[in-house]
Amino acid sequence: EKDLDQSPISSGSVPTFYKSADDFTQAMNAAYSSLRDYPDRQLTMAETRSDNIYGVSTQGIRTWEPINNFSTAIASNEYPAGTWTADYTGIYRCNILLDQLAANGSVLTPALRTRYEGEAKFLRALYYLDLVRYFGKVPLIDHALEPQVVAKINRSPVADVYGLIIADLTTASASLAPSYTGADVGRATSWAAKGLLGLVYLTRSGPTYGIEGPGLDSHEYDKAYALFNDITTNGPYQFATGTNAYANIFSYTNENNKEVLFDVQYISGGVGQGASYPSILVTNNYFNSIGVGTTFGTGDELRPASNNLLSTFAAGDVRKTFSLQQGYTTTTAPILTEPRAAFKKYINGALRGTTRTDWPINFIVMRYTDVLMMKAEAILKGGGGAPADVDAIMSQVRARAGLTGTVTGTTYAQLMEERRREFVGEGLRWHDLVRSGNAVNILNAWIAQDDVSKRMRSPLNANDLLYPVPQAELAASAYLYEQNPGY
Amino acid sequence: CVPLFLMTGPALAAAALPPAAARHAAADWQLTGKVTSPNGEGLPGVTIVVKGTTLGTSSNADGSFSLAVPETPGTLVFSFVGFQTQERPFAGPENFSIRLADDTKSLDEVVVVGYGTQKRSDVTGAIATLDASKLEERPITRVDQALVGQLAGVQVQQNTGLPGRGFTVQVRGNSSITAGNQPLYVIDGFPLEIASPNSNGNYSTGNPLDNINPSDIQSIEVLKDAAAAAIYGSRAANGVVLVTTKRGKTGKAVISVNAYSGVSQMAKKLDLLTPEEWTQRATEIVNAAWVKSGAGRSASQDNATRRQILGLAPGAYTPSLMPDDRWSQPGHPGLDYIDWQDAIFRTGVVQNYQVSASGATPNINYFVSGNFNDQQGIVIGVNYRRYSARANVEVKANDKLKFGLNLTPTYSESSDPGVEGKDNLTQKFVTMVPVAESSAGLLTNYGENPVYLWGGSSISPVGELTNRQQSTKTFRSLATVYGELEPVKNLRLRSTVNLDNTDARAKSYIPNSKLVGSGATGTFSGYRHITFVNENTATYSRVFAEKHDLTVLAGYSYNYFHTESDKLKSSGGFVNSAVTTLNGATNITGTADNGTSETQNTLVSQFARLQYAFMGKYLLMASVRRDGSSRFGEDSRWGVFPAGSAGWRISQEGFMKNVAFLSELKVRGSIGFAGNNNIGDYSSLATLGVNSYTFGGAIATGQAPNSSPNADLRWEKSRTLDFGLDYGFFRNRIFGSFDYYTKTSKDLLLSVPVPSASGYGSQLRNIGEVLNQGWEVELKTNNFTGAFTWSTALNFSHNENQVVHLGPGDAAIEIPSSYGAASAILQVGQPMFSFYSIVQDGILTQADIDSKVPIIQGETVGDPKYRDADNSGAIDDKDRVIVGQPSPKYTWGITNTFSYKGFDLSVLVQGQNGGQLYSLIGRAIDNTNMGYNQNVLGLQRDRWISPENPGAGERGKASTSFTPLKSTSWLYSSDYYRVRNITLGYNLNTLIGTRFVQAARVYASLENFFGHDTYRGGYNVDAVNSNAGGGSFGVGTDYGGLPLTKSVTFGLNVTF
Repeated sequence: EKDLDQSPISSGSVPTFYKSADDFTQAMNAAYSSLRDYPDRQLTMAETRSDNIYGVSTQGIRTWEPINNFSTAIASNEYPAGTWTADYTGIYRCNILLDQLAANGSVLTPALRTRYEGEAKFLRALYYLDLVRYFGKVPLIDHALEPQVVAKINRSPVADVYGLIIADLTTASASLAPSYTGADVGRATSWAAKGLLGLVYLTRSGPTYGIEGPGLDSHEYDKAYALFNDITTNGPYQFATGTNAYANIFSYTNENNKEVLFDVQYISGGVGQGASYPSILVTNNYFNSIGVGTTFGTGDELRPASNNLLSTFAAGDVRKTFSLQQGYTTTTAPILTEPRAAFKKYINGALRGTTRTDWPINFIVMRYTDVLMMKAEAILKGGGGAPADVDAIMSQVRARAGLTGTVTGTTYAQLMEERRREFVGEGLRWHDLVRSGNAVNILNAWIAQDDVSKRMRSPLNANDLLYPVPQAELAASAYLYEQNPGY
Repeated sequence: CVPLFLMTGPALAAAALPPAAARHAAADWQLTGKVTSPNGEGLPGVTIVVKGTTLGTSSNADGSFSLAVPETPGTLVFSFVGFQTQERPFAGPENFSIRLADDTKSLDEVVVVGYGTQKRSDVTGAIATLDASKLEERPITRVDQALVGQLAGVQVQQNTGLPGRGFTVQVRGNSSITAGNQPLYVIDGFPLEIASPNSNGNYSTGNPLDNINPSDIQSIEVLKDAAAAAIYGSRAANGVVLVTTKRGKTGKAVISVNAYSGVSQMAKKLDLLTPEEWTQRATEIVNAAWVKSGAGRSASQDNATRRQILGLAPGAYTPSLMPDDRWSQPGHPGLDYIDWQDAIFRTGVVQNYQVSASGATPNINYFVSGNFNDQQGIVIGVNYRRYSARANVEVKANDKLKFGLNLTPTYSESSDPGVEGKDNLTQKFVTMVPVAESSAGLLTNYGENPVYLWGGSSISPVGELTNRQQSTKTFRSLATVYGELEPVKNLRLRSTVNLDNTDARAKSYIPNSKLVGSGATGTFSGYRHITFVNENTATYSRVFAEKHDLTVLAGYSYNYFHTESDKLKSSGGFVNSAVTTLNGATNITGTADNGTSETQNTLVSQFARLQYAFMGKYLLMASVRRDGSSRFGEDSRWGVFPAGSAGWRISQEGFMKNVAFLSELKVRGSIGFAGNNNIGDYSSLATLGVNSYTFGGAIATGQAPNSSPNADLRWEKSRTLDFGLDYGFFRNRIFGSFDYYTKTSKDLLLSVPVPSASGYGSQLRNIGEVLNQGWEVELKTNNFTGAFTWSTALNFSHNENQVVHLGPGDAAIEIPSSYGAASAILQVGQPMFSFYSIVQDGILTQADIDSKVPIIQGETVGDPKYRDADNSGAIDDKDRVIVGQPSPKYTWGITNTFSYKGFDLSVLVQGQNGGQLYSLIGRAIDNTNMGYNQNVLGLQRDRWISPENPGAGERGKASTSFTPLKSTSWLYSSDYYRVRNITLGYNLNTLIGTRFVQAARVYASLENFFGHDTYRGGYNVDAVNSNAGGGSFGVGTDYGGLPLTKSVTFGLNVTF
């Protein structure tokens, strides 16, 4: 009968875990691990859905196409569902870690314990912000709870979710280290927490569109400004200038540079820690055109830059030539020419990994220029500072892009369009549109202009600014969750 | 008891005769005559005795006999094994002419039940028997194949066209949603570990019947109801299949040689567009794209004009906007038009050789055999080869003790370049553009050969099939050692030790299609699977007062199951293509795919059974088993599984003696509980998954819980009620059985979807309930006896499957799909995994558009018209309705056997009705809006082309502007009938006599030659090779499975 007690031979089990410092370190790492698909999600959920990409398939049925087309039948689509699941998986790992730290955290040194609490709260806030921006109201879970209990918890008002996010980020910004060295590089810093908190205030301050979305019309631009100003004044960051300055931000050999507040870390080498996001917007033919195609297998379809995006760049803008490859030709027979523009910002064929999902390049979640331009945004919205500061930031950014001429009297629209160019392909465009208050107008005008194959739904309305609650979640909650309007 | 009588009869007669002769030599009556077989040949060795005495003799070589008896009227009894015993009265000297009839069904026939045997007439549970002793008379390659169409209530499906692979066997429907529906296999008393195919149709650590040589099998019993099966407790809910191998028979040693050889081909070819039809369709799509691509562009513009507009150099092409000029030129110069199916499929050679020797002496009984089976696949690169041997030896040490050894070493080699399933080569070659540059031909885009511009990136499947190396070598050894002691009369103590060890090694080397080593991938993987079982039983069996027949069994069993697996995978390609083993790989370390793992479980059981028969009329059986398994949660570790059954043989009652036409009538009823413990080795525990990250360029190993614990997790429990009737008419010329059953399966293991906000997608709970009910008929008739014989065996079963309970609130569960909205659903009141999709109702016309019928955003005239089931005014996933069920409602099989003179002919027809299949291969070859750079089903031939030419109304126009949803266009009926086998044999003994051989037969056999189904989307209605489900729901579907094999074989059976 003793033989009837068996425990897994080839995997750990919970009863023996969370007992040592090493266990907590591993639990912490697992909480970060949920970030691994974060860039891919942003490039589909935010970049593909925005006016930066005209992602209408010509070859077949791509699961991302309904996202691009504003189909209302995307409640079962893998991308919203995957986002919801991945964010909550990350939140659960943070929750159980925080619970276990409260129970058994004494095995850690006080300093490490405080830091892990800060990191877990930073990540939890990041995951919740992701949820709020895409889905609006979501269930607010801040402890590891039995599934039966969670099933009875409804979606919380957005303001309540922000309450936890702000509390978490406030704790994190106080308890985290300002920077890390060696094998800790990539962990959340106190500055990253401040930057994220600034973004939270900025987002909350945005218009409501009459939907229960990320904007609360709360006019907390002053809080945002204070945080961004703290970073630009006291932070260790630096606006990169000089030859190839813009390209160097994303260089494979210049990772974790002075521009980076927080990034998702990757390494290649076939160890399962490479990035897949550089591949998802381009095809095998693009890889072929840069001479690496034959070893990369068959690829997905091109998600090309929209004509509208291409036309926003002035001649000589290095950000366009660096980020986009307009027209390319395969190098091996058959010679195929693709006239449309591919997003190549993160691709360096010479330093690729073993497969198309094994790129070594980190994904920058928030960078210094973003902080600067968000600061400018807060100023224009009356959060503090002077309009001249905005012009200075604009000039700085444009000069690095190779554009000459001084900037005066920057309008909000100009600032946001500059952000579009600066952060092209970085997954920020959708959120910028929503925050700006003009998302519906801009998108409808763009669709009318660019949608030559008439595959996109139009006209859009404010309901399209939120994704549907995934069908599986509605069902799993026994329809306690109510679907977002419009779906 | 007949053989025993045979042995002792003549000896007794010899002993009794002399004194009788001495006393009555002059006055004896002389009885003489001849005994013949049904076809009139003299029968030697027939035992002839005077009833109620020991006086007797046996017939001579020509069947004649002579016997002197005292001058007293009496009755002569003629008996011979295999024939019905006859009695003839006499009242003086007489000359008899006796023709013995074939004994089609002896009522004293013994059936194997769990841990013992029972007289067929005493059986009170639902047990189906297949006499497998003649399997070698037909080309059967697997034991499960032999069951196809043979037994009522036993549905056998061939999920793959690959040789050597396991079939799925389902007894009385699907009773488990997630924990598998395969029965427990017991070979010669050795219960093997249950294995269920994964949703890709594969048995990841082998099928229990792998490598078992069907020619070694004597009989197969399927225990269908819980009363019969419950003695196997927590593993019996899906039925139990008892396989008994051959033993030696007393008498002269029998050497038997069986051989066959033949050829096989695909049984079905898919209707795809011909190259000409494909070019028409491609032209249509390309022209539509051209028109859409800019203002002022029309389909009538030729390529020169288009080049001008696009600014292309002369001769240059943009394939998505321009057709190939050569399509319209006579003879399409420079292009090869290819039928890829013809290029891929081949005629395979199959051969099988078997030699066996068996015999028995009073002290030793043996059966040894060797077998070689070679099946060349119907597709390039697919092969299977099996070598097996068996030794069954039993030694009687003394009157009280015997011991024995069954040993079965086997080895097989199976090659499969990766042909079945999503993104594998079958899907590739059916979707491959049927046109290639002549310079490349069949090797288009392979090696240095050019790709065809309109052919997309597809690589020649011929090149892939020829150059990929993927094979599995399996060495399996089954061994049983046992001892049996009879310390006092009627009590037998038996102890067995069993080991089933499987070692499998698989190698794969997939060269880069450009034939460079650097892009190649390779793996080397394997597993060792061990089942160890020790069982100890005590059986007391006795007849009291000649009325009370009692058997009592008690036992204890220990089972241990262990699996180790390992895998190595190349990283970064190979150094070159000359060395294909992993030492030639650039790197093998550092891949997350490398590693070893182990898993094991234990099962400890006690069991007891009582069988009682009163005067062979009133029958009772009761059993109970208590199972403890390491798989169950710590709060519910032990389960008890009782069963009881009763029967009444009405035909044995005195008042029935006058009903002459009725030779057998028995009613029986049973109730029993059985379990399904196939719930995973550690499912009740919260395990940790590895979720690593990287900091500062170094790996940071992470771990997090990946399943929520459930200390109450336990077996799934089935309760079966069975009412049966066994009948026989006209001295059993017509006999059979009827059963009605209801099987309620509760506590089904469900991964109940939970909100992701809990950190989990699902939690494993014992919550579901499924009901299966149905009826089964078996009927065997001897239509003609005599020189021409014709007998028919028919089985027919009906099963209704229905979900009774699901998770909390009984909310319907949509089975997640990787390909958009769910197309299968679990819903209370409906069959398990009912198909769920929107319904296509023809094609949109202009009138439809004008009247604003609901459409999917972007649809126009010529696109499919869908049913707005929820009346929302738009077509979306909410319009899905239940459109079919995966299990057939009716399954049936008919075997007709004829013999005349030396010829024998048997025909097996088998089929199913009432089910559907939702085939995802449709997504690959029959989707709406398929591009030009692939081929599509012939269904698209009759697509909508214009309002004037609307086609067959099934498929819309080639070029569309909407995002399609899964609809009924991929739903097919799974009804089929198939002539599984026709075998014509000829007995050579009539030609060459029995001087050199005891028996010799030649035969020709057709397998799978005729049949019909309406599955237009794929090859095989039963194909399972891809997972259509997600999460914990494995729902298998066809995403490119091979056709079944039809074969012609010629064989020889010789016995010396």
